[in-house]
Amino acid sequence: MRDLAERNRELLHFIIVPTVLLTAGLLGGLRIDGQTRQFVFLAPPLVTFVLAILLGALFVRAGALELHHWLAIDQPMLTNVSHLLTLMSLFFASAQAFNSVLPESGLLHWLFSFFFLWTLWTNQFSTFDSRRLLRSLIVLFGTAFVLKHLLVSALYAPEGGWLRTIASTLLQGISIDVPRFAPITGYISFFALALYVAGLILIAPVPVNASRVNQLTVREDALIESSDDRPE
Amino acid sequence: MQRKLIQIAGIIWTVIYAGIIVWIYATEPRSFKEVATNSQVAAGIYEINQEKFNNGLALFRREQFRAARDEWAAADPAQKDPRTQFYIGYACYREGWGRVYYDDALFKQGLEAVNRAINLAPNATLIVDDPNLQMHTGAELKAELEQGIETSWKDLNPLKLFRQRK
Repeated sequence: MRDLAERNRELLHFIIVPTVLLTAGLLGGLRIDGQTRQFVFLAPPLVTFVLAILLGALFVRAGALELHHWLAIDQPMLTNVSHLLTLMSLFFASAQAFNSVLPESGLLHWLFSFFFLWTLWTNQFSTFDSRRLLRSLIVLFGTAFVLKHLLVSALYAPEGGWLRTIASTLLQGISIDVPRFAPITGYISFFALALYVAGLILIAPVPVNASRVNQLTVREDALIESSDDRPE
Repeated sequence: MQRKLIQIAGIIWTVIYAGIIVWIYATEPRSFKEVATNSQVAAGIYEINQEKFNNGLALFRREQFRAARDEWAAADPAQKDPRTQFYIGYACYREGWGRVYYDDALFKQGLEAVNRAINLAPNATLIVDDPNLQMHTGAELKAELEQGIETSWKDLNPLKLFRQRK
């Protein structure tokens, strides 16, 4: 029973988590053209890498990732390589999660990027624990998703509507370049973000084997202490 | 031992999956069909659709150049076959050729196709043995298309009206 639990935990840690994160990364840049219904793969823009680095720093600061347990000199090389790949997958998935909710070009792209940068930068100086950080990220990505895929796409939908009429009156003379993508793009983005959040929930602050090594070290320390206490 | 095995499997799987994602973003396929074609190219098992190629050739010989190009484009969706690309270039040349003026857009399209053909040919030398054609090498076709796009005083020469299409 214990072996099964351990094996499942290892499968989750070494195979499922990287797969979930990489799938989020794959879908994060996928759009469907509004006219031709063809795939459009958008590589993550440079700003998303900057945002992913800031987010990574936030994970470490909040204790959602304890880097010294993930990469350590006293761990086997295989474990370190495996952890490095998982961390790289997390970085790529983070960049693609931002790519998924950032408008593709124009004024809105820079406005969204600026607000993301502002939020992540100010969060660097706040007190967070891993659970609060996760909640905060769900709200951040959720808001951006609603703004981009529900509000902005409705504003510039070809069939129009009262929202579009108001926006075009208010923003008269301001060119906001919004590429036309099929509605299914929103579903793909939603799925990518859901996978990303699932990956964040699954990823442990301290990896499986590292926690076991720590437990062993604690036990070893306790044994040494008890042997020291014993009268000679 | 089992943990080591899972770790190795995880590393191999993650590297392969990440490679596939990078490859997809690099090749930017536009449909699942294109994903399949690109996979065939990457695996080295890509082949053109010979039936469509022959249909294109028949249309080309009947001087239906646009239809021929469409058939060849469908025969070689990945644009990886030098011979097909050469014929696409030739069809652009023949359709764009005029006694008084050349169609620049078609000549440019043809030049792109013949450049692709030359780049794909081994040692960048492409020879097509077709007795119905007057130009048999990629270099000849390329030079003809380039001359057609260039603007010079020779364009005003009235003797130009007597030249023949190749």
